[in-house]
Order: sequence, then C-alpha cells, then structure tokens
Amino acid sequence: MLKLTNYEISILNGEKGRLQQVAMENIVRYAEVLGADELCEITKATVFCGCHEYLNVLDSDDFHEIFTKLNLSKEDIIPFDNTYENCYVQSCVSPCDQYEHKPFNQSKNFFEKNSYFLEESKKAGVIIAGTCAPYLTGWLPIKGEHFVTTESGVTIIGNSIWGAFCNADGIEAAFWSSICGRTPKWGYHLEENRYGTHLIKVEANIDSVIEWELLGKAMGNKLPTNSKPVLVGDFKNVDFVKLKHLLTSLSIASNCRICHIVGITPEARTVEDAFKGHEIKGEITITNKDLEDVYSILCDKEEVKIDLVSLGCPHYDINQIKNVAYYLKNKKIHKDVTFMLWTVYSIKCMADLNGYTKIIEDAGGHIYTSTCPTTIGDIFLKNYPNQLYDSLKQSGSVRSSELKNNIYYTDMYRCIDAAIQGKWEDKFRWKK
Amino acid sequence: MEKIILHGRGVIAGIVEGEALVCPHSIAGWGGIDPKTGIIKDYENENKGKSIKDKILIMSGSKGSNGWSCYFGAARATGSAPKGWAFTEIDSSSAVASAVMQIPTIVDFKAEEDPCKIVKSGDYVRLDGKQGTIEILSKK
Repeated sequence: MLKLTNYEISILNGEKGRLQQVAMENIVRYAEVLGADELCEITKATVFCGCHEYLNVLDSDDFHEIFTKLNLSKEDIIPFDNTYENCYVQSCVSPCDQYEHKPFNQSKNFFEKNSYFLEESKKAGVIIAGTCAPYLTGWLPIKGEHFVTTESGVTIIGNSIWGAFCNADGIEAAFWSSICGRTPKWGYHLEENRYGTHLIKVEANIDSVIEWELLGKAMGNKLPTNSKPVLVGDFKNVDFVKLKHLLTSLSIASNCRICHIVGITPEARTVEDAFKGHEIKGEITITNKDLEDVYSILCDKEEVKIDLVSLGCPHYDINQIKNVAYYLKNKKIHKDVTFMLWTVYSIKCMADLNGYTKIIEDAGGHIYTSTCPTTIGDIFLKNYPNQLYDSLKQSGSVRSSELKNNIYYTDMYRCIDAAIQGKWEDKFRWKK
Repeated sequence: MEKIILHGRGVIAGIVEGEALVCPHSIAGWGGIDPKTGIIKDYENENKGKSIKDKILIMSGSKGSNGWSCYFGAARATGSAPKGWAFTEIDSSSAVASAVMQIPTIVDFKAEEDPCKIVKSGDYVRLDGKQGTIEILSKK
C-alpha cells in the first residue's frame, strides 16, 4: 500500500499547480503498478526533449499539446513550464545536430521545429545539453543519490559504477519525476535490492573496448529477466570507457540495470560482498566463442564499398576524439565515405580548442553533436546503403530499421582504416 | 479442453479477450515496434513482422532502451495498442508503460504459471486485470 507524505499529498491535491499534480498522479499510478510502499526525492534527471520521430504519431506542431498527450497521457493541454526546483535536469539527445540539418537530409522546417521544442523545454528549466553521456558535462550522481534518466546506459552506469540509485523508468516517467521531484522507492532505489543474482565467469580474453562491448551483449543474451550479474575474471587495463561500453551493450541486450564486477565496482569488493548473503541463482560462463557468435550477427560479411562510417556511441569523450585525430593525422578519408564522429558540444569546443577538429576535418571527417544516427532515423540512414559503426548499440539498432542496409561493426581503428580505404574487407573484422 | 487459468497480480482493471501474442524475450525498446501500425520491427524478435494491435500481448518484462514505454504510448495514440497485456515479472520500464497505456494489466505470475511458457501465440485468451487471471479459452 503506497504511503505518501503530506507534501506529496499537497501536490496531488493541486496545491503546486496542474502540471505538478498530473505528474504526481502518473508517478502514483506507476508506483501502484510496481507495488511500491513510498516515493523518494530525485535530485538529478535527464529528459528526452526535441521532436523525436515517434512523436509524429500526433499530427501537431504544438509542443505543449504533444507533450501533454504523449508524456502526461492527458487530453487537455497542460503547459510544460517548470521543473522541480531541487533537481539538476538536463536534456538527452534530440533528433538534430545543434547547428546543422543539411548533412542529415533534414529540412530547415524540421530543424526549427526541433529548436522550438528545445527552447520550450529550456523555459521549463531543462538545461539543454543534448547528450546520451551526461557525465561528460558534469552531471554525476554520487553514491546513494536518487536519479532518473532516459538513457539505459546511464541507468546501469550510475547504479554499477557510481553506486547511485536509479531504475529504468522511461521517457514519460523521467519527465514526471523531473516535474514533481519524486519517483517510486522501489527496485534499485532500495539498498537491499542491489545484491547480485547470477555469477558470470568470464573465461573469454577481454581487453579492447569492442571485446567489453561484446561481453555485455553475450551476457545480456543469456541472462534471465531481472538478473543482477556479478562478473569474475582476469580483467586487466580496465577503464571507464571500457566499462561504459560493457554496461551500455548489456542494458540494450536485456533489462539488466545493475552489474557488479568483483574488485572493480563499489558494491562488489568481493564475491560475497556482491551477493550479500543471497543465493546464487545461476552461473554462466562466457567464452571467446560466445563473443564470436554475438559478433557474427552484428557484422555483415559481404565486401562492399562503405558509404557511412560513424564513431561515438555513447558520445565520445575528449580523449577518444584525440585518439581519432592522432590516428587520422596526415591521412585522407575516401572521397565517397561520409565520416561522422558524435559527441556533446562542450566536448566539441574542447576538440576545436585542441586542434583535433581541424585534423579530423582536414582528413575529410566531421564532428557533430547532440544526436546520433539511430536517433535521427531513416531520413538520414536511407542515404547510406553500407554503414559501419564502432558501436554495438548503433549497429544493432539500425538492424531494426525497415531499410535493407548492409551493417558492419568493428573497433574504432579498423573503422578509420575502412573509411580511408572506402571499402569493407574481411581484414577489418574483429577477431580474437 | 482442460480449463487453464494463470494467476498473477492484477494492476490495471478491465476484462478483455483476444488473440495472444507471446514474446518470451520481450520486444527491444527504441524502435522495436512501428507505433503507427503496431508491427514488431525488433531484428531479434521471434514475432518480427506481426502486429501488437488488438492482441493480448504477453512478455517476460521489458528489454533494452529506456525508450521502451514511449513507443507503446505512441501506439496507443494511433489506436495500434494491444487490448491488454501481461508481464511474467514486473520491472520499472514495463510499469511505466502500463501506467501510460492504462490497458488491463497483469504482472508477477506464480513461477509455475509463467504465461510466456504456457500461453502460445495464436491462443484465444481472456485477461482479467482486476482478478489477475489469464484464461486460455481456445488453443491455436
């Protein structure tokens, strides 16, 4: 039975206005479906602003009408004009680059509509950041801090690496929480629910970023619903970039939203610490063959000319951009290849400052911000029959498109090699 | 036919009947369905190409992107939503989607009554969101 505080009841009674009231009504309904006993305050949120493709189901250009009907599930228009005062709210990716629309086959009208959507969100108190990697801008929940996010990767990174508390809510619920400042105190918001359920013995040799990513997908394919894996293995040279790729691919391949790595993540100093006295429900071993099996589905085989090479999912940090620039120095991307690198625009400013942008542009590539290929959608992707990604998330998502493109996937350096050559060859495949 | 009734926790009331569509591995978020038609697009889904519209959709839980509920919410706006749905075990994404959809919903089934294992796509079922029951009225 859900118990509300007097403050929460006052919101529900409309004392803080109609917007907060409806947001709280939705949070209460969500809590009741979960079977939560109470709500908790959230102090960080990322929200999904911009005129995304799925919003086109409503034949309207009115941001507030669309917002009300699809994010609040109400028919009467309720302006989205404020957010919870104690919450650091910033925007996730939108379907447009911050400044350009022509490279993506988008109309000026569409770009301006997206800008209008962002502007209205900004007026409500959302900081426009435009990234799936909010930590690159300083948005960093600390251990025990309750947060909401529209990014599955950020959910699992926050729970696993930072020890912060978050559930995979969804786009609507992130808005509800950012408005009324509450989320159901359920699931990973409760300390006692964060223990491991399955022991994952990693026998595969995991080293490079792509191998960490494939490990996430291989685990996700094998884990039952609502699992909390605990990884043990001989891991070397682990860093945040490798972990963000592991966790992002795991979150895409499953509904797993916490992953303990013994000796690395804070709630898993030992195996016993990770399971906290609970039974191990299952053991799974991941071998090199599991990684190879996953990879074979995500990378086509035909040797063809490449039309699009895309790097940066999740958005690259400045050191990843530096690595691309250094590798590309004094080289040229093939003239028939569109070479795009994705980040958040504050990092793009640093790339400009450090000369990395110039090196990449001199080579024939471009750095874009605030979005990514799958978020832009088919209007962009349809122009590139043969696409190459350094990301499992992108190479997987575009396979669900109705377009019959050839999709290739390999590590960053082989992506650049293929972009220079202008053609996909078997030698670029990831191999153990 | 032997009467088969599965018991879970009814969370959104309402009685609906229809053809079951069972996705034991769920449907991937962000682009897993076309919200205009309800057709499953998820490249890994065993029911790819079939529509969720007017079905009794049965899934283990959610899967993948936090952008999971919004595609079902958009399908609701176009009239392409399922009539009702059930999840073997509730998770946060499927709970948000249920709060948005407001269609009859059952979650948290007994271990031996997992609808993903007992109901088959094409079976004709009755879902009672208040009582928390799914009855198989006729097998495919």
